[in-house]
Amino acid sequence: MSKEEFRIVGKSIPPRELFDKVTGRFQYVGDLPAELYGKILRSPFPHARIKHIDTSKVEKLSGVEAVLTHKDVPPRKLPRRDQRACYILEDHVRFVGDEVAAVAARRRAIAEEALDLFKVEYEILPAVFDPEEAARPEAPQLYPGGNVYGPQFGMMVEKGLNEPVIMEWGDIDVGFKEADVVIEDKVEVKPQIHSPIEPHICIAGWKGDELTLWTATQSPYEVRMSIAYALGMPEGKVRVIYGAIGGGFGSKYIERYQPIAALLSKKTGGKSTKILLTREEELCHAGRAGAKIRVKLGVKKDGTITAIYLKGFFNLGGYGNIIGGCGRFGEESPALAYKYQNARFEGWDVHTNHITSQPCRGVALPTLTFAMENVIDQAAERLNMDPVEFRLINLPETDTLMPLKPHKNPIYPRAELDAYPAQRILREVAEKIDWERFKGYQRPVAIEGPKSRGLGITASQGWGGFCIGGFINETVIINNDGSVHILSGHTDLGTGSNTTLRQIAAEALGIPIDDVTMATGDTIIGHFDMIGARGSRSMTTAGHLILVAIEQAKNKIRQMAAPLLEAEPEQIEVRGKKAYVRGEEERAIFLRELLTSTVKCTVGGDPRDWLLIKGTMWPMVAPGKKTRNPVVAASEVEVDLETGEVKPVRIITGNSPGRMINPTIVRGQYIGAAAMTLGMALLEEFKYDENNSVYEHASLADYKVPRALDVPPIENIIIEEVVERPLDVGGPYGARGAGELAGLGIVASIANAIYNATGSRVRQTPMTAEKVLEAMRGEKAKKR
Amino acid sequence: MPETITQKVIHMVVNGKDREIEVRPNELLVDVLRERLGLTGTKIGCEAGECGACTVLINGKPTLSCLTLAIECEGKEILTIEGIGDAAKGELHPLQKAFVEHYGVQCGFCTPAMILTAKALLDKNPNPVDEEIREAINGVICRCTGYMQIVESILAATEEMKGSVHE
Repeated sequence: MSKEEFRIVGKSIPPRELFDKVTGRFQYVGDLPAELYGKILRSPFPHARIKHIDTSKVEKLSGVEAVLTHKDVPPRKLPRRDQRACYILEDHVRFVGDEVAAVAARRRAIAEEALDLFKVEYEILPAVFDPEEAARPEAPQLYPGGNVYGPQFGMMVEKGLNEPVIMEWGDIDVGFKEADVVIEDKVEVKPQIHSPIEPHICIAGWKGDELTLWTATQSPYEVRMSIAYALGMPEGKVRVIYGAIGGGFGSKYIERYQPIAALLSKKTGGKSTKILLTREEELCHAGRAGAKIRVKLGVKKDGTITAIYLKGFFNLGGYGNIIGGCGRFGEESPALAYKYQNARFEGWDVHTNHITSQPCRGVALPTLTFAMENVIDQAAERLNMDPVEFRLINLPETDTLMPLKPHKNPIYPRAELDAYPAQRILREVAEKIDWERFKGYQRPVAIEGPKSRGLGITASQGWGGFCIGGFINETVIINNDGSVHILSGHTDLGTGSNTTLRQIAAEALGIPIDDVTMATGDTIIGHFDMIGARGSRSMTTAGHLILVAIEQAKNKIRQMAAPLLEAEPEQIEVRGKKAYVRGEEERAIFLRELLTSTVKCTVGGDPRDWLLIKGTMWPMVAPGKKTRNPVVAASEVEVDLETGEVKPVRIITGNSPGRMINPTIVRGQYIGAAAMTLGMALLEEFKYDENNSVYEHASLADYKVPRALDVPPIENIIIEEVVERPLDVGGPYGARGAGELAGLGIVASIANAIYNATGSRVRQTPMTAEKVLEAMRGEKAKKR
Repeated sequence: MPETITQKVIHMVVNGKDREIEVRPNELLVDVLRERLGLTGTKIGCEAGECGACTVLINGKPTLSCLTLAIECEGKEILTIEGIGDAAKGELHPLQKAFVEHYGVQCGFCTPAMILTAKALLDKNPNPVDEEIREAINGVICRCTGYMQIVESILAATEEMKGSVHE
């Protein structure tokens, strides 16, 4: 179908909930009342065993209605996707801020006062903060099986394997021997805190043996499943209501505070109990994994990359999520960014006594791209090649068979890239930022007084548009008036995915978008989604499944209409609230005449764990192909050579969303992801004093997320390359995910631009003025 | 016990309506608005005056309601997001309309504060340029949009509002 033939797909239809959002009527969890207020007592020590907790004074405080310690929690762990299972509370604390006990009181001030009345005796244990150190067997151990959370990733796996995740093809020793130039370098990334403006929040209440939890979560069915398991309840007796989320970015999954609220409420006979994290708790609790990454790259004089060896240590903190760590190298990304002849990627996901790592927009990919593009740029410089030219030589394109040699451990099938216009995107981004101004790596594009301007460009790739992980349950109900109601297991994080999904359904059924309604936001509909709104997959996965369900519903209608229209079912088209014989639209019957009840179809993909169905998810997306998203980013910065201060002047993102369902929403996602990773690059500094166990970034005055004046104009190159497939195969109308995909290369492009402006490489995030000055001094010393 | 602290009656005009409210001396404006008057469009994001989500207009000036004591508001005019446009009739203020049409909203948590801050700007300066808009909204953090579509929304509203008066 050509673009012109679409009525609804490709149109920027504003999400209908925006009316409530701009009028203040949209109700978030914090806007709902609760009878009790819960607070959590947190550990002042990075690593300790709780020897004794005396709660007698807390219990005597007037207004306190429930107290919870590790002695009161069930002896079953919370199973958590991609994350080590943990007890709701335990006598072992693993980072400053770890949950120790909790209290619920009639007023918040009383709950706060009560926290001071707990008497806890700790046995302080030796702590470890560096993931590389923590990976050594002699390091203090956080878990009996060791600190390395290896490649097994089972939901209830209790111990690590003390092994790295390895992805490898060819032979890097051979590759490095073939190389004319070998570059080796390392970078270090500090945790980035998600900082949604709405802090984590839940309200728990019981009616008899049934629990209702109102919470802002990206992963409601994971919350339901985990709490039901830990509390020994059937999943259907845990209802999670999650209709409004004030930002998530990877931070809002199942967390201990949710079952803590449930248990506090239970102790009071079911009174509704609210827990709202303070901004300080929010900033000192979980974040994007810190990491240390070494990369060795071999290139030939002609620019061909012969080998890459990447070794990364990812800081999972006390309880971290491996998707926040190397995360199986996120569906091979960015290992497939370039045509590496030989490659070895080695990722160590290691627990330390740090805040917990949680996936954060783009997971490890902004970090990995920073590490890799740092050496890519250096290799190109050594070969005296233009950064764009060098990348063009090595970028794969549509139909390139990737990786170049088969995986040694075939986690993923080797296949041709599907709709992958990487080189074109790179060229267009370079043109847009006026790359001709680039005069050489250490020659700024402009200098005025102490202000030096530099350009940086990077290429990468990411997933987005995949169908994995228990899929999502989707039900399409065709009402007897021909309008449609969808029950959907996906979660709209505020990204507008409800709207894009309704657009997809309206297009497929040939009806106005107002005739498509959707129920989501409440697990009472029982439409499971194991992994929730993550990985830029809501629209692609749910959209794909909605189209499959629509096709099934149409088939039912075809069977019913065929005898009445005196035609074969295959000849019948179902569109615009009627069934008709294809090519003879007057031989039609309106659905309201045909149906006295609804036609309902439910689909759910393969319910087996994705670890059991290796490789089978891709044919669902693009049969026999590899679906990936090429990503390019370019930045222009102005560096004050006297102060080291970096001002981003312009950012261009380059992406390929397949076909855009809603262009304004796609653009909003691209700009948002770029701005967030710009914060990671330059502003957001996690500061923890390991000697005194103090967080020094515990407010938004100290932890600087980008404000309007910090963000330069962000422009987008968007190349829609679409492969036409039957509607029930592949991404919906050829669409790909968008949410994270403009954020992968921003940190790296800023670092490369700083190098162009200063001649110094900054190898740590955030690249604050101090770090830039430090790098400039280091470079001078080297040259002397 | 804190309950024994003397309460004080204050008079404010909230969204055009006279209000007489008995408040404790330490009671914050944001709590009075949200909990006593049910105006939950005003959000709480940090309780420390850093995120800007609690911004309301006091006598037309953007003010952090999480740092403002209710008793300081004696005799003042307070405007919250519920006070602009007429949601019940489905009528939106041009700023609200522009935020919908130009997608200046994602999760929506900062949106009431953003719109009120923009309104205060436009009331003073009906033709702001990009930089002036960014300066005005710099106190309100948006973590979703990267601000581009917010600035575009505000610029679109200035066009719409030219030559007309809106409350």
